[in-house]
Amino acid sequence: MEWKDVIPVVAGAAVILVVALVVKPALLGEPIGFGSRGTVPVGDPPVYVPSSPVPTPTPIPDDGEVYTRNFRWTAIDGGVQTTEVTVPKALFGEHRKTPRFSDYASWGRYALASSDRPFLEDLARRIAPPAANPDAEYFRLMNLVFFVQQIPYDNDENATSYIEGALPRYAMYKGGGVEYPKYPVETLVDGRGDCEDAAILMAGLLDALGYDTVLLRYSDHMALGIRMGEFNPYYARYTPRYFTYGGQHYYYVEGTDFEWWNVSTNSTAIWGKPRAIGDAAGTGLPSVQSETPQIVPLRYVPEPKEYRISPARLPGNGV
Amino acid sequence: MDPNNPSPSGGLKIPKLPDIKIPNLPKITVTRKQALTAAGVAVILVAVAVIGGTILFDYTEDQQVSAFRSHISASEADLFRVYGKISTYMRTSTTDLSVAECDAHVREFAAIARYGRDVTAYHRQIVAADAVPAAYAGAQSAYVRALDNLNRAFTYWLSAAGAYDVRDYSAADRNLAEADKAWREYAAAIADYDRELRAAEEGAEVPPA
Repeated sequence: MEWKDVIPVVAGAAVILVVALVVKPALLGEPIGFGSRGTVPVGDPPVYVPSSPVPTPTPIPDDGEVYTRNFRWTAIDGGVQTTEVTVPKALFGEHRKTPRFSDYASWGRYALASSDRPFLEDLARRIAPPAANPDAEYFRLMNLVFFVQQIPYDNDENATSYIEGALPRYAMYKGGGVEYPKYPVETLVDGRGDCEDAAILMAGLLDALGYDTVLLRYSDHMALGIRMGEFNPYYARYTPRYFTYGGQHYYYVEGTDFEWWNVSTNSTAIWGKPRAIGDAAGTGLPSVQSETPQIVPLRYVPEPKEYRISPARLPGNGV
Repeated sequence: MDPNNPSPSGGLKIPKLPDIKIPNLPKITVTRKQALTAAGVAVILVAVAVIGGTILFDYTEDQQVSAFRSHISASEADLFRVYGKISTYMRTSTTDLSVAECDAHVREFAAIARYGRDVTAYHRQIVAADAVPAAYAGAQSAYVRALDNLNRAFTYWLSAAGAYDVRDYSAADRNLAEADKAWREYAAAIADYDRELRAAEEGAEVPPA
């Protein structure tokens, strides 16, 4: 055989290979060359992009101007207590300029607002100073509850509920009424509020002391739930009401419904009886008696129940 | 009349055609050596055609299964990387977080969801494009379905994180519920995949899903 005889064979083979490896894949959209038919051009594999870290909170400008409020309340031992609260006007003004969340489920954020936290920690320490005796813990807790219960009640639609004497810009019109959930320091500066304001303030104060609380939302009311093991004191003339959330018991705590009377007919002085933990029967609200409230945790983060990857066997008898 | 100089008048003159001489073709003589050479060339040509044809029309089943296996393996490796991040996220206690820390925690959740969504979309394209033997078609289809469900679950997670950002926690919870459902469908698809694979490789009958 001579070279001139081999050349056509080689040329034929070359044509076949070109058709097989270039022309046909190009026509069918397959990868050119010896690559797998399964490999498609999909770019680089994705990479994980970490999230941004916790930002440093923007400090509230402190121009020295403050609101000063004096509170007077009856403590659990029957003694009258007083305390003074000062809040920077800049912080209060900042809250008033902040839009409100329309979803009730996010109202726990108000109680945990980082800007309010130092004021709540300071106030909580003054109302309920740390006690060496563990038995005194209940009295600390109740003093905080009683303090909040004795802040005068005022509806959101009343201009008297706000120091400006007018509804704030971000008051929300919902269900034929007005809703304006206040940040804790707003309630303190206004010196009054409605049920959700009291529940939010109480939740903020108790959280500052390390208690686990939730908001209990009814169709026309909001109260607080506090996590306790078993609470059934011998002196209670009621069955303490609690709700189960995340496997824990949260006992009902009323924030506003302070029972009071005038000391005498001609006196503006009042005396009264705060509501105890678990006492839901005395509020007189039908919704509290009949409804199961929506439980609003202060700290909400999305927590999926299902998230496990199931290992798949590999083809070719692999594992 | 001179045939080479036709007169311009007096009628049509046909020029004389030259005489054409057809040479004799050489006689073809095929020797035995030449015949064998031609036959050899033909045989080689056919062999090359067969080999080329094989390359042209199909890879062997082993090659296809091998490619499928490597793609499933790569997908599983990436999915377990995602799972590692999910596990870390789920282990983080949120009991005492501040609001800012809760927000950062949810941003981490969104980053994991985005990564999971991209990983599942990437591997879905690759596995779905695999050419597999007919016996493996059921397993391939089930695995692609599993990745689709997982992709949907991660997309719902992202929506939940988005709802959290606008403080619509009720919507976030609804998206999480949908995501949980997609995760369960993913687990069911993986079970189908295992069953189909066993049927393809062991010849076992596939029980109804």
